[in-house]
Amino acid sequence: MTSGIVFNIQPYSLHDGSGIRTIVFLKGCPLRCIWCCNPESQNAMPEVYFDSENCIRSKGCKFCDGLCNITEYPAKLPEGDCATFENVCPTGALGVYGKRMTVDEVLDRVESESAFYSHGGGGLTLSGGEPFMQGEFALELLTEAKKRRIGTAAETCGYCETEVLRKAAGMLDEILFDIKLADEEKHIRCTGSSNRLILKNLEMLSREFPTLKKRIRTPVIPTVNDNGKDIYDIKRLVSGIGGCTHELLPYHRFGVRKYELLGRRYADIPERLDENNFERLKKLHL
Amino acid sequence: MSDIRLSEKKTYSPQEIRLQNGTSLENKRAGRILAGFQGSRPVIDIERGKYFTESFRETEGQPLILRWAKALYNYAEHATVYVDDDQLIAGRAGRSGRYGILYPELDGDFLDEAIKSLPERDSSPFDIAPEDAEYIIREISPYWKGKTFHEALAAAIPMETRKYTYNNDSELSSRFIVNETASFRSSIQWVHDYEKPLKIGFNGIKREAEERLAALDEFSPVDNTERKPFLEAVILTADAIILWAKRHSELAAEKAAAESDPVRKAELLEIARICAKVPAEPAESFYEAVQSQWFIQLFSRIEQKTGTIISNGRMDQYLYPYYKADKEKGVIDEDKAEELLECVWVSMAQYIDLYLSKAGGAFNEGYAHWEAVTIGGQTPDGRDAVNELTYIFLRSKREFPLNYPDLAARIHTRSPKRYLYEVAETIKDGSGFPKLINDDEVVPLLLAKGAQFEEAYDYSVSGCAECRMPNRDTFTSPCAYINFAAALEMTIYNGKMLKYGDEVIGLQTGEDFADFDSFLSAYLKQQKNFMKHAFIQQHEIIRLRGEHFASPLGSSLHKLCMEQQKDIHSPKIDGGIDLGYFEFIGYGTVIDSLAALKKVMFEDKRVTLSELKDAMMHNFEGFEPIRAIMQSAPAYGNNDGYADEIGKLLDRELLEFTRKYSAELGVQLDLRYVPFTSNVPFGKVVSATPNGRLAYVPLSDGSSASQGADKNGPTAILLSNYATKNYDYRNRAARLLNIKLSPQCVSGEDGTEKLVDFIKAWCDLKLWHLQFNIINRETLIAAQNDPDSYRSLLVRVAGYSAYFCELSKDLQDDIISRTEHIAV
Repeated sequence: MTSGIVFNIQPYSLHDGSGIRTIVFLKGCPLRCIWCCNPESQNAMPEVYFDSENCIRSKGCKFCDGLCNITEYPAKLPEGDCATFENVCPTGALGVYGKRMTVDEVLDRVESESAFYSHGGGGLTLSGGEPFMQGEFALELLTEAKKRRIGTAAETCGYCETEVLRKAAGMLDEILFDIKLADEEKHIRCTGSSNRLILKNLEMLSREFPTLKKRIRTPVIPTVNDNGKDIYDIKRLVSGIGGCTHELLPYHRFGVRKYELLGRRYADIPERLDENNFERLKKLHL
Repeated sequence: MSDIRLSEKKTYSPQEIRLQNGTSLENKRAGRILAGFQGSRPVIDIERGKYFTESFRETEGQPLILRWAKALYNYAEHATVYVDDDQLIAGRAGRSGRYGILYPELDGDFLDEAIKSLPERDSSPFDIAPEDAEYIIREISPYWKGKTFHEALAAAIPMETRKYTYNNDSELSSRFIVNETASFRSSIQWVHDYEKPLKIGFNGIKREAEERLAALDEFSPVDNTERKPFLEAVILTADAIILWAKRHSELAAEKAAAESDPVRKAELLEIARICAKVPAEPAESFYEAVQSQWFIQLFSRIEQKTGTIISNGRMDQYLYPYYKADKEKGVIDEDKAEELLECVWVSMAQYIDLYLSKAGGAFNEGYAHWEAVTIGGQTPDGRDAVNELTYIFLRSKREFPLNYPDLAARIHTRSPKRYLYEVAETIKDGSGFPKLINDDEVVPLLLAKGAQFEEAYDYSVSGCAECRMPNRDTFTSPCAYINFAAALEMTIYNGKMLKYGDEVIGLQTGEDFADFDSFLSAYLKQQKNFMKHAFIQQHEIIRLRGEHFASPLGSSLHKLCMEQQKDIHSPKIDGGIDLGYFEFIGYGTVIDSLAALKKVMFEDKRVTLSELKDAMMHNFEGFEPIRAIMQSAPAYGNNDGYADEIGKLLDRELLEFTRKYSAELGVQLDLRYVPFTSNVPFGKVVSATPNGRLAYVPLSDGSSASQGADKNGPTAILLSNYATKNYDYRNRAARLLNIKLSPQCVSGEDGTEKLVDFIKAWCDLKLWHLQFNIINRETLIAAQNDPDSYRSLLVRVAGYSAYFCELSKDLQDDIISRTEHIAV
């Protein structure tokens, strides 16, 4: 059976699609957005992490003794070696981001919440990372969800193989599609990649799946795109694409600490998004 | 991709916004009345104790039910009556402001001691005037020494069982192991058939009794010694309540004569007119029905201390015909109806259920009360029952967010959308109302226990989470609250508890366990042993109750009692359904402890029993790694089969026991998970537990997860509840479930919709009860630090809402530590 790397399964999610949903986060993302709040989702394979703040070795804890002595985190070990770090640490200070799961294991978890999907159109939301980066796995998850009559949604950055997205779209009830910037050069600077593939994919969805519910979302990031010009350009771009809604999401910094755990430095982004400015951008008309 | 979903901007519930803005409710009549007593310390009123004692002194040797009726008459004739300023509804059972009344027949043997400690008590303190205290010590307390139910019960309970029940002190205070609740209340949660007296009046009830009296066989010994006094008592009680109402009428007329304001004068004259009419005669308007019902429930409170206050039944059903007729006549509108109901709510809010014993106080912290008003649900023929009046109750709760009455909304799969939305909107207000009771679970169980469809569909929520059929339920004995976390402790320490040193209390089940199965089987022996003692207690309680309590008023409102001329406290009433319960306290604590032992100790072998014992005896101080590893085990409330299977097994073992031995007690003694606030005092006798819980802190509450152990969101808690229930057994009763959500989860129209989805899923899962706290954690912490600014902060405690600042620090901490669910 097909399996993939999942880094979290989260029930009772209310803000990512209709109804009460369970989000399955797949590991791995082709973009490197400088503001990313889930840096642990970026690499495709499991990684051993260490959070010294939760470590109670100073209180005499020795439960991780005997494991190989890693000096730098995150450690990219072979998958089998990563597994030996799972469920060792009592406080979760030492652990593994990402776990291999089969399609059935994932769907059994998702289906166990099915009582909550039946009334408000809830169901499974695939997220990431970029869920379609693990293309075969993502498609099999959607196939199985359809078979089990569970509602389907996906959150994508749009940077994925068009063929995978096309097959997925045929099985989705709803898609949440991120457009971060319209300007290609700026996109490369802030995410590490061009937005051409993203725009091509969005255009494909619009043309080939006119009835698919599409929510386009733009995170508003201070100094990146929190200005009239960028937002105006995005709104204009979106307006040319049929059958979708567009919403702006305010910036938050919940992910900042994770950078420390991963031994990385967070980009130099101002702490707060100006609220008045955000409201102004929301009201911006074409 | 990004998962930027949340603003860091905080969302607050309407209640939190009111607290921040200091919004006043004084633009309403009931709001002005409320302002006059809110936050004041309740004071003991001795009149009920006084007039009952006076009468009982003179009626010794007579049939008990007649003695009760005479005492009620003595009260009705002599007690002070009140018509409060600005009020539209007359009647109180005690002095102005917040008051509590005395039931010395229950546990008055330590009344003199109790009144000394009541003002200083941590949980639910009361004040008393010095002259009243003196009267109690001189006149009331001495009479009852040797006569109370508490003493009789303590004497009747075998020594072996007593060890689990009482401490060996002069008050026979609770040991909080196998705790009896029968000596701090005369019955379990109860509700009357209010429709009958509204329809025929007490003159009608009196006529019925007179006809039955005339039809008695003058030569029958049973008719002469049992039925005759019963009927005479019913007649005398009808006279008593009518007299008492008339005295209110006279007072209102006097006040009207002295009143210069023409508007108030007219109001007083209307009160005088109504109190002269009801409850003697049938009510003919909404106003009359509301006043009549208030008199009846208040007089019932004077008659008996039914468990946690007499409930109000299906108010939106039995008051609806009056409302509808008045509305058609054009004499009432929604605002007026709401105002009258709110006048009752503020009257309720001044009556405080007084518990003399420390156990009673600690079980019912924050002046707990469950005068449940039921709304919604189904009609006797199984249709949806929601009507216009239903929405007025919900509106009143949103516009006048007082913690009275305890509002219970019945939900079923066909509940109309508007009803579910308004229920959700009311919950979103954040003060904890209404609690939800699930027809889809309750109705089939009532049927399985012998009810007819029309009775089952017409059940009333009674008290905290019970469901009663007012003319069919006949079991009144209060039941045992059992501390199964103590059974777990006894399994670890071979029958002992750290709190009680070397005393062997439980069974000696050994100290070495080869595997989890042998530990589990030792625990189950301890569990079963607790059940044995709980049932022994219950046997004696049932045997004794009819010798100590009578309810001529309550019995006159019960069809079976009137047909058989038997008091409702009789051990056996033909045709009745006897539904009692026993209580599992510490469910999450025990499951999580067993799961941790199984996983960490027996399966993974990461800790030995002696290491763990050492750690627990030191309250995990210096043993943090052991505590952490035990806490990392699977826990109940996470939709994790590993823990849930253990929970289901414990539940089933108890159901097996009650299936086997209930019949001997003549009652269906059902398994229930409703702690009130007893998880706090029960926790105070249990040392550190294997799930990492520290010594003497609260146990888990009801069927909720251990504090902070639920990490997978609120859907997982519902699913764990579902997974641990044994649906193939009928002797199941309520499971209380508290969910704390942050206001951000339910904000906006979308939030309301998703709250409705959540409620519907709960209904589909056939879970019994659900209640919400919609509040930010920092609001609770702020209230703890600055109580003066948060006096009006209401929180859901356990089947009721209470002012947060009136709870003890322990219980406040317990509520803060319940996991707050935030959605992404």
